[in-house]
Amino acid sequence: MECERIADERLQADKMDLLYGEADAEVKARVAAHLDECPACREEMEALRGVRQELGAWRIPSPRPAFSPRGMVVPRWLAAAATLLLALGGFLGVAGYVSVIRALGAQQARAQALEARQREASLAVEALAVRPAAVDAERVLARLETHIDERIRASEERQGRAVDLRFVNWTEEIEAQRRVDLARVAAGLSYLDGRHGEQVARTNELMGYVLEAAARKR
Amino acid sequence: MGRSDEELVQACQAGEKSAFDVLVARWEDRIRGAAYRFLGSEEEARDVAQEAFLKAYRALGGFKGEARFSSWLYQIATNLCRDRLRRRKARATVSLEELEETGAEMAETEPGAHERLLQRDLARAVRRAIRALPEEQREVVILKEYEGLTFLEIAHALDAPVSTVKTRLYRGLGQLRLRLEREGLRAAATPLPAPAK
Repeated sequence: MECERIADERLQADKMDLLYGEADAEVKARVAAHLDECPACREEMEALRGVRQELGAWRIPSPRPAFSPRGMVVPRWLAAAATLLLALGGFLGVAGYVSVIRALGAQQARAQALEARQREASLAVEALAVRPAAVDAERVLARLETHIDERIRASEERQGRAVDLRFVNWTEEIEAQRRVDLARVAAGLSYLDGRHGEQVARTNELMGYVLEAAARKR
Repeated sequence: MGRSDEELVQACQAGEKSAFDVLVARWEDRIRGAAYRFLGSEEEARDVAQEAFLKAYRALGGFKGEARFSSWLYQIATNLCRDRLRRRKARATVSLEELEETGAEMAETEPGAHERLLQRDLARAVRRAIRALPEEQREVVILKEYEGLTFLEIAHALDAPVSTVKTRLYRGLGQLRLRLEREGLRAAATPLPAPAK
């Protein structure tokens, strides 16, 4: 069964005024008169009151704080597991920290020992290497100087002897050469003398021939 | 006895800036609550409330007091929510909180677990039913049912005639009734006998 005035907007507005307590006396009387006659509208008004009650079920959650432990609903087993994990994590963290510190300490000690050994070794090397080197160098230098002086002296002597020898040889050679040259000159003069005679004879002969030929011709 | 909204507005307009702090403290939760019901997102509701107060503060010099300050504030917040809903439709996004029901809504008020579950189911159904309403009906239902504004205040806030507001509310409640009955959370009402004269 449906109300004949179901589309009547004034009746709708009156019902809303009544439902929300804003109806004045005139509206209340008007709606009441209609409801007396209309079971559909009575049922509707009753249903709408029920709807209003049900609408109250939707409440606004209070503003969420940034972090609210009370607001976190966590199962106990999960909380226990989380605690255990947290404790385990803490233990591992501490153990790890201690291990790292120990390892760093051992590493540092090893480094220091190594450094000390290196320092000792370098000192020893310096002690072994620097002093003999200096002594040897002085000795070697002295020896070298002596050796060089000896060598220079020997060389000078050799050179002097060589010069003397060469001078003697040169004098002898010059004398010999002079004698050879004199011999050659003498030999040449004698040759020239001989050759000169032959030449004169031949010239005379030739002149004779020329004179003889000229006479014949004449 | 504290000063009324209108007195605080006048004080603020006269240069007493701290008066606006009182207005914010007085209305912030209400505006945020309304925005939450409109949008279904706590973060967005908080943003809308802040934005609404900022806009109100900037426009306070031009506020003539023709409507109540609260109506004016609801009007600003409602428009901001409409803008956000429009943008959300354009992006076709759904707030996660629309999908995720907040079980804490009724938890603290109901002692028994069974009743608590029933109330939670009802709260979810109500929320779904209200969100399924056309926007103009949803706005009126929220402002009337949850914010307790008068029809005249709602008319100011929505910039609509009072009669229109009442008609929208009537239709909205009818839709809610049908939807809740369909969800099986309330029995279909049987016609009541005529009251005895």
